Amino acid sequence: MLRNLSFARQILPVGALIGVAIAVWLILVGLPDRSTAAPAEQPPKAVGKLANGERVAGAGVVEPASEVIDIGSALSGLVTDVLVRPGDRVAKGQVLFLVDARAARASLDQANAAIGEARAAIAEASTAQKTAREQLALYRSLADPAAVSRSEVIRAEGEEAAATSRLGSARARLAAAQSAAAAARTEIERLTVRAPISGEILAVNVHPGEFVATQGGGGSNSPFIQMGETNPLHVRVDIDENEIGRVALGQPAVISPRGAAELHVNATFVRAEPQVVPKRSLTNSAAERVDVRVLQLIYALPPSEAFRVGQQIDAFIPAKAGAPAKTEG
Amino acid sequence: MLWIAIRMLTGDSQKFYGLLFGIAFSTLLITQQMTIFVNLVERGASGVYNAPEAEVWVMDPVSRTTDVSYAMPSTALDKVRSVPGVEWAVPHLRAQANVRTADGDLEGVAVIGVDDATLIGLPKRMATGDKNVLFAPDTVVIDDVGVTRLFSNGASPLGERLELNDQRAVIRGIADAIPSFTSTVVLYTRYSNALNFVPGTRNRLSFVLVGISPGQTAEGVAARIEKETGLKAETRKEFARAGVDFIIQNTGIPTNFGITVFLGFVVGVAIVGLTFSLFLRDNIKQFGALKAIGVTNSRIVQMVGVQAGLVGMIGYSLGVVGTVAFIKGFGSNPFFKGFYIPWQIPLISLAAVVVILAITGFIAIRSVLRTEPAAVFR
Amino acid sequence: MDTTSIGGCAPEAAICARGITRDFEAGQTTIRVLHGIDTDIRSGELTYVVGESGSGKTTLISIMCGILYPTEGEVKVFGTDIYKLTDTELVNFRLKNIGFIFQQYNLIPSIDAAANAAVPLIAQGVPLAEARERAKVLLDKLNIGNQADKLPRQLSGGQQQRVAIARALVHEPRLVVCDEPTAALDARSGRRVMDLLREVAVAPDRACIIVTHDNRIFDLADRIIVLEDGRITHDGTEMPDDH
Repeated sequence: MLRNLSFARQILPVGALIGVAIAVWLILVGLPDRSTAAPAEQPPKAVGKLANGERVAGAGVVEPASEVIDIGSALSGLVTDVLVRPGDRVAKGQVLFLVDARAARASLDQANAAIGEARAAIAEASTAQKTAREQLALYRSLADPAAVSRSEVIRAEGEEAAATSRLGSARARLAAAQSAAAAARTEIERLTVRAPISGEILAVNVHPGEFVATQGGGGSNSPFIQMGETNPLHVRVDIDENEIGRVALGQPAVISPRGAAELHVNATFVRAEPQVVPKRSLTNSAAERVDVRVLQLIYALPPSEAFRVGQQIDAFIPAKAGAPAKTEG
Repeated sequence: MLWIAIRMLTGDSQKFYGLLFGIAFSTLLITQQMTIFVNLVERGASGVYNAPEAEVWVMDPVSRTTDVSYAMPSTALDKVRSVPGVEWAVPHLRAQANVRTADGDLEGVAVIGVDDATLIGLPKRMATGDKNVLFAPDTVVIDDVGVTRLFSNGASPLGERLELNDQRAVIRGIADAIPSFTSTVVLYTRYSNALNFVPGTRNRLSFVLVGISPGQTAEGVAARIEKETGLKAETRKEFARAGVDFIIQNTGIPTNFGITVFLGFVVGVAIVGLTFSLFLRDNIKQFGALKAIGVTNSRIVQMVGVQAGLVGMIGYSLGVVGTVAFIKGFGSNPFFKGFYIPWQIPLISLAAVVVILAITGFIAIRSVLRTEPAAVFR
Repeated sequence: MDTTSIGGCAPEAAICARGITRDFEAGQTTIRVLHGIDTDIRSGELTYVVGESGSGKTTLISIMCGILYPTEGEVKVFGTDIYKLTDTELVNFRLKNIGFIFQQYNLIPSIDAAANAAVPLIAQGVPLAEARERAKVLLDKLNIGNQADKLPRQLSGGQQQRVAIARALVHEPRLVVCDEPTAALDARSGRRVMDLLREVAVAPDRACIIVTHDNRIFDLADRIIVLEDGRITHDGTEMPDDH
């Protein structure tokens, strides 16, 4: 009897215990993992003595030291040649692109022709003047007044005066033609767009054959060529206006590019913009309204491959020692 | 004698299984209902648990939960980053939007914008695809419950196009997320995309998620953030609690489940009490004989205690096993997704079983103890 | 016979009862069931306690075997004044010294015959297997050794009674109390049971009390005590003629 297995007394209790053990195991295994996880990618963070110290954070963008220069064209016309590519370093005065100068060259040729014509006229007039003067001198040197008639002398004097005035007129024409040529050359020069400073070409938005209008560079059109001095690069960091009082101006900032937050670069202070401006939102939507104003601080980056113009960065700047924390919301 | 007690109990199989049923049913009812209750109200905190990296949540002072929030100016992020003890801080956007599916249907969705660079704020795991798909343009990642809601025909949502606020959004991944209380479809995308997907308002930043520096406590950092920025900062635990409290305060769920649990308890007391009393009354002559032969009252109490203990152990085990089987069995149902049995609940039902058996055993044993041994001669 | 003091007990008396009275509360009134009973029970004898229903014989026997407190009086069982013991001591005293055979046997239905017979041993703390072995020996002696593994409901009434007898004797008590052993039996069976009892229960150092009003078996007694309305009206080896 005892050796017989009883369902109620043996199988059931043992089964129940096994069942509850499995249930307990399932419950414990099934408990949700509510622990916090370390971020898979490093978010931007303050490092070094800023990690636990007083600091001000800001976001910003990388820009050339010269800021971005939108190259415009003085005259409108067709682009005939673009001499630079994005990334090129150019010296000051180096030609960037050329606008169709055929009309100006025609004017120059015309003016040059006029110069030649005027010079010929001057030569002819000089010769005539010279002949007239010689003849007049000959008449004047004759002692015998009867040798030439009085009328001959008057005619000779008239010819000399006429030649002189023709010469003056021709000279005036020469001057006019020369200035016309100079004007044409200036125009040709104006149709050649040159680098205003030495720097790096950041963007080229014109191609040969395109028509450029003089208002290029402003308005809604993209600028023809963008360039700037990228050595060094600067960053423009937006600081919330409430935090302005806390920023230790002049101190170096720790900069991390977006998406590469493990990189921490020390940037030296350049200047603070005198004006507090509305914050430019990331969306740039036309409907965007703003109520946040920011102080823009400029920092110079050390040479680095990690930064590009226009890139967004996160910055940590030391706060003034003992500056009270703002409690404004 | 305890061997005899157990024989006595199991010998009367009708009452034995009646007792087992009573205890098992009570345990099942209490455990299962409390489990569902806890899981249901914890859905209020799903938003918090779905962002596993954040140790502190910073929000506008009027924000209450992950779904009831008021946006902050974008510079709030920098203010939070300025607070000592904050190791990192990233923006987090949560907003409601309407999505137009490929079929042209309109569906309300929650759009969650996670940090652009680090994707902090995404659920821990992906059901399909890799987190990095979010770096592709116009990408959204849908949560797995959303798949069943939005693509009920079983088609794969990957590559499907949605229209959000006149913007194109392409589903490129499925996140393994805890569903929200309302089982809303959730679309995860990068913060900058989310700004486009959600109709514009002036301020868009719903939350700032904060990680704390080593050696700092979340509570300390949260307090410092509140002091220095004037924003509201809650630790992960507090904010999850706030979400749960919000559900509890704003729904009738606690009352409903409380009533069911109470009924389970009452049914347990009733079934077990009646059966146990009947069982002991049936055996009262035997108990009387034992008392006359020379078994002390304390041994009698031990015998009844062993009987109650056996019934309790088996019944409780069956109830717990039943609950686990229920939860596991319905685990594939989206409603039960992520349901788990908090370890405290089986302990609570164990305590309830002990109380049930103590009450009923106490009532039932009184008649046995009152029996005069002399009664066996009548 | 000395009826005034317990000190008058004979040393060999198994039970020495002096001045036993017992009252029962019945609502407002108190009913006196026993009126100062004095008696001795001797070892080696089969003693009958005989009386009509309500004569107080059950009450007397309950008091004499230590399961009912007397209102007044003293009971010595083998020299121990049992009502001066604590409750637990009294229970253990019963367990050690007294065997009971109940009218309805009161076997435990869910354990087999051997286990039922072994209950007093089990209650004394004897290991289960050993207790069963000892009970089986006794069951063999009672000619139901082959039924030892059966449950009570699988046994006939007579077999159940033998199990009950075995239970009363298994721990070798010095006093056996038997309540109406023949009430439910026909005359032949009743005599057989009484023969059996006389054979196994009566021993030189063992007292055996049988409560009965079955006149068919009076002739088997060594001594008959007759109770009427709570008083002993007869005490002798034979029944008086008026019964």
